[in-house]
Amino acid sequence: MERINFTLNGKFVSVDIADPGMRLVDLLRNQLGLTGTKIGCYLGECGACTVIFNGRAVTSCLVPAMRADGAVIQTIEGVADGEKLHPIQEEFISKGAIQCGFCTPGFIMSAKALLDEYPNPPVEQVKSSLGGNICRCTGYVKIEEAVLAAAERMQKGE
Amino acid sequence: MKFVNAKSAAEALSALSAAGGKGMLIAGGTDVMVDIEAGKHNPEMLVDVTAAKDMLGIRIEGDEIVIGAATTLTDISTNPIIKKYYPSLSKGSGVVGSHLIRNLGTLTGNVVTAQPAADAAMAVAPLDPTFVILSADGTTTTKKMGEMYAGFGKSTLDTSKELVKEIRLAIPADDEKASFVRLELRKSLSLPMLNCAAMAKVVDGKVVWARITMAPVGVGPVRATQAEEWLAGKELSLENMAEAGRMALLDAKPRSNPLRGSKEYREHALPILVRRALEGIAKQLGLPYEA
Repeated sequence: MERINFTLNGKFVSVDIADPGMRLVDLLRNQLGLTGTKIGCYLGECGACTVIFNGRAVTSCLVPAMRADGAVIQTIEGVADGEKLHPIQEEFISKGAIQCGFCTPGFIMSAKALLDEYPNPPVEQVKSSLGGNICRCTGYVKIEEAVLAAAERMQKGE
Repeated sequence: MKFVNAKSAAEALSALSAAGGKGMLIAGGTDVMVDIEAGKHNPEMLVDVTAAKDMLGIRIEGDEIVIGAATTLTDISTNPIIKKYYPSLSKGSGVVGSHLIRNLGTLTGNVVTAQPAADAAMAVAPLDPTFVILSADGTTTTKKMGEMYAGFGKSTLDTSKELVKEIRLAIPADDEKASFVRLELRKSLSLPMLNCAAMAKVVDGKVVWARITMAPVGVGPVRATQAEEWLAGKELSLENMAEAGRMALLDAKPRSNPLRGSKEYREHALPILVRRALEGIAKQLGLPYEA
């Protein structure tokens, strides 16, 4: 049993890892109960498990849980402010960028990492930053529109 | 299984040493984690170097650019030093997998996993990189690009007892430029159908030397040596670049792949890609090659 400490959605957490080969996504979902992060392919190819790890969007299925020791991690559960949704979440809803919703947490985490670092990205950068997330329902145009609309609102201080 | 978060290259080596050949080094893990899941590896210890401070970052040292082996592809592709001296490496590092993969994966990993058409490995190949390798027995050695590959998906590096600490590149002279081109079905999450990279020194409009690498047409990045030799002393004209592209086929053995193009298609496309890579160099040098 190994103990690791990290910051998860703004809170300090300390967890015991029984299997040091465990993936971060399994730690989040199975041990910490944060099932908003989804498992699609488990190969790093679909983006459903995207979380923000030390400021960067990554596929948590490829990250060893043990690497989280000392890290700052944000999951979809840490994006809204209580009952108040984040502008990215609101724009996904208002632009119809969600259908089945399975890929949505991953897209929102990729979008948030992008807008946290680049508040006003050109559309090409939006496309490239979302390039690791796959959606089989909506197509990508509405998702891009939602991210660009959120960027505009966030620049106004929302 | 044990897991060690190494804080330095020395710490990583001593952990590997303690594992007595049953440990395995992991950096981004974008291939290693998938391979472990598939049962291809079964290490007793994973030694993670993503937080090894002396293996991170990009710096200039004398007349060399030093890229820490644990530096992510995102950090390489967006780095001002790389963008200034080797925009082709910035480009190649910026198209591996997806943004999410590049935030984890490394250039060194792209070489050590020894896949035949890894974009970042291809982009760095003609820059004549030197890999600085530390071994658990305390020795430091260096390897050139061609010495890193043992076969398809097989590196000469033994990650149970060795690690690449850094990659060193010579700072190019003003008359030395490099380029990277890629042919793909989609922009993200797709392996290239073909990729090609080149570097050349051109003085008074004439090629002094050229290095052309292409993939997947053999094991790792394959040099178009006959085209390189033919180009030496010649002008970088459109006609010569096209001829060098045709000659590149002499060193290439493209195979049919059900997902990524037939042998015939690749043989047709490769000369065009090589020409485009050379055009990329001519453009950067401001040569009026279209005239």
